[in-house]
Amino acid sequence: MSNRISTIAKQTFKAAFNNRATLSLTLLLGLSLCLATYVGWQNFKMQNNQRLHYKALVRAQWLAKPDKHPHRMAHYGYLAFREKHELSFFDFGIESFAGVSIFLEAHKQNTVNFSEAGFTNGMLSFGEISVAMVLQLLVPLLIFFLGYNSISAERESGTLKILLCQDVSWKQLLWGKTIGIISICLSIFIPLILLTILLWASLSHWQVSMDSALRLLLLVLTYSVYFFIISAITVLVSAFARSSKSALITLLACWIFFMVIMPRITQAVGVKIYPSPSKIEFADAIAAEVHQQGDSHDPNDPHYTAIKDSLLKAYAVDDVKKLPFNYGGYIMAEGEKITSKIYSKHQSELNKIFEKQNSITTVTGFLNPYLSLKNISMALTASDFNTFVDFQHQAETYRYQLAQKMNKLQIEKISNIAPGEEEKPLAISKTNWAEQPDFNYHFKKLGAVMANGLLALSALAFWLFVAVILLQCSPKWIKTI
Amino acid sequence: MKKSRYHLEFKLFFRSSSSWIGIIILLITGMAGLYFGKTFIAKQQAVIEKAATLQKKNTLNNIDHFGKDIGLLFFHNKFTLANAPQNWAPFANGQRDINPYLISVTMLGLEGQLYDTDINNPVSLLLGNMDLSFVYIFLFPLVIIAFTYNLLSEQQESGIWSLLRAQTNQSFQVIWQKFLVRAVVIFAVALLLLFIAMLYLELPQDLTLVSVAVLIILYLTFWFAISIFFISLGKSSNFNASALIAVWVLLCIVIPASFNLFLSRTYPIPEALQNVINQREGYHEKWDMAKDVTMKPFFKHYPQLKKYPFPEKKTFSWYWYYAMQQMGDDQAAASRLAVEKKLASRQYFTNVFAFFFPTIQTQLGVNKMAGSDLDTHLGFQQAVRKYHEQIRLHFYPAIFLNQSVNDTDIKDYKLEKYNRQEVPTIWINMLSVSVITIMVIGATVFNLKRFNY
Repeated sequence: MSNRISTIAKQTFKAAFNNRATLSLTLLLGLSLCLATYVGWQNFKMQNNQRLHYKALVRAQWLAKPDKHPHRMAHYGYLAFREKHELSFFDFGIESFAGVSIFLEAHKQNTVNFSEAGFTNGMLSFGEISVAMVLQLLVPLLIFFLGYNSISAERESGTLKILLCQDVSWKQLLWGKTIGIISICLSIFIPLILLTILLWASLSHWQVSMDSALRLLLLVLTYSVYFFIISAITVLVSAFARSSKSALITLLACWIFFMVIMPRITQAVGVKIYPSPSKIEFADAIAAEVHQQGDSHDPNDPHYTAIKDSLLKAYAVDDVKKLPFNYGGYIMAEGEKITSKIYSKHQSELNKIFEKQNSITTVTGFLNPYLSLKNISMALTASDFNTFVDFQHQAETYRYQLAQKMNKLQIEKISNIAPGEEEKPLAISKTNWAEQPDFNYHFKKLGAVMANGLLALSALAFWLFVAVILLQCSPKWIKTI
Repeated sequence: MKKSRYHLEFKLFFRSSSSWIGIIILLITGMAGLYFGKTFIAKQQAVIEKAATLQKKNTLNNIDHFGKDIGLLFFHNKFTLANAPQNWAPFANGQRDINPYLISVTMLGLEGQLYDTDINNPVSLLLGNMDLSFVYIFLFPLVIIAFTYNLLSEQQESGIWSLLRAQTNQSFQVIWQKFLVRAVVIFAVALLLLFIAMLYLELPQDLTLVSVAVLIILYLTFWFAISIFFISLGKSSNFNASALIAVWVLLCIVIPASFNLFLSRTYPIPEALQNVINQREGYHEKWDMAKDVTMKPFFKHYPQLKKYPFPEKKTFSWYWYYAMQQMGDDQAAASRLAVEKKLASRQYFTNVFAFFFPTIQTQLGVNKMAGSDLDTHLGFQQAVRKYHEQIRLHFYPAIFLNQSVNDTDIKDYKLEKYNRQEVPTIWINMLSVSVITIMVIGATVFNLKRFNY
């Protein structure tokens, strides 16, 4: 039985490559894929090197700052740059739409600025070519062109009847054709993967990490599953269609609907159902809550008056200037604690809204294998929404820690008595600056990524299951003539 | 006789269910595009209204909190400029999702504030907006392809063609009539949607409407030309369908998407990051330097401010502080101009490239008319620069003389709206689409001549 399947598969494979149009189309796609890989890799190197360059510059400038008041350093702040994951040259995901640099300073949470999209003139609405984009969008189109007449042409030429009379079962025919079409895809996909591995290894300076290797392995696996699903659908449509022509038209219509129209609509619906606040509303809500809980900039704020009174009592003094530590620094540390807690709460609420907006697209993965693969691919190449949120989160943690570090230096090392209007400002030694470590973004481990992408993964698994079941059971309903 | 033949062709066309499906898909997605496009812009409008009230509220709050120290008040108080959406923005949302449409700035250094983005869901930005221009640019061509790809090949494959050729030597006329029927229907649907858009979005009947309508009609004509070119090759239906879809994928996805990659590779903008660093250093380093280092260049920039006495001896004064902030901007001037230059060369290169690709050309043209393109945003940024400068020069004297807040007119400052001064024209876009269309038609005529002999 399996012998027959492989014969049919081989035959399909050979026939496809005997057709010059198919051959040239496949070669063309293969070439453009290699080109996309190479250019993507180059782009990655350039952009990431830029970011690393500025990261080093920021660090050097931080360390070179002279003796000064620690609060000045807190306002001097830090610049963090979003590094790219080494696999993101494979799939750009949201890379171009997410900001690159964020300014981290005391009291204030800034936005991540300078996305590539902000520098382009509407061209990005057409998309960006990456290996993932070609594999997700164009390879299915190739599969459709290869397979739309796989069964229907046999029927139209009359060979179908002969085949079935020769004791070939429908099941064998369907599986054989599907496997034949996949092997054509793999003949471009496998060299491409080898190229990807080579470039990826060179990006990580030939010291590949286990985590990335596993990510890449999973990528190969999920893309293969995707190609199998698409090939099975193609063969089935060809088997059920009245003619080759109607099979082709059906497949093309599906391609357009599922890959061009649907993603935009699902996201627009998500945004409509779960509206997110604008920046001013977001900032206003935070300001209102800060005001309610205690505003360190307001001299009459009850929360801070209470702190002041309890400190005076505990140290048995009548003026904050007589406290054994820097009172201003203490109050600022308290203020930072309150505001950053409120900010983080609102930010995580906002991210939840965004997640809900995106969930419509993710759930649609059960209707549309393209969307589920797109989500998995972005997650595995760390170019997805969750990675961006994680970057924001790590940057905010660093910002808070930097601000509090400077407050602590102020509390401990700055005199409590302010100098006169014309005296030199208080300062501490520049050796303190090195105590503040550099900002380094750490990518999430694969386990955490998979946990997040469970829904998308199960959608793809669901499609795999449906495809296998259909190949096994549908022969009952297919008409031979 | 001729009239009745058209009549019959229309009847034949409308009898087929696939014709209706095509028309209905266009109408439904068109309406959906209008709806989502309008919702998107309506939200921005609502936010701008809200920002106007918040502007007043926050100013009063700030006066309440910091009113005793005028320097501190202006350290906190923000002034807002809004890029108010044009009438046509719901039609083509363009870059309005990516670029901020509200910029609030304090009197401190501008370069540190100007590029702050809105809070956005990056996935929504990635998947793009659904608006009516999307339907015109992406979906109409597909329906044109679906309606026309088998005009000739179907006749050939069913054997009618040879019968027809035997009976009349005007056989191409039949195909031409079928083609015209489909063209009339598509143009009617396109104009109907435009008419609905005009009512729904309350678009004025002006030159913009005419320009957009002409550009869209030219663009659709281009796709008819492409389609008829493939028909003229006389290949099978399957070949036509595959080839036309391939052309669509190339023109609407692959070429623009590759171009994007090429553009960001050829014109990278590291100067943007450099600009942030320059601004930050330019301001912060002044804290550790003699006051002269700040004040000399400051008075050189604004000689008219020299008349306000500078408190030399004080360790800290707001005078010095605002001058230091200005140094941040002044020292970032070179990198800022470098960014502008890079953007201009990107723009120039895009325009040259777009000349050969009607899809890109139409998208750029429509965005331009709708004021949702990069140029409008850059114009908005310039307006913010001007506004910031005007506010600073207006309030500097009060701060430098340490006047009372109540003597200033800060309460009169409302949210300002930026409106593009001149209405753009898209003659070049129309011209380029027409030229390409004529070239395709020329190739078709050449083909048909070969066919006939």
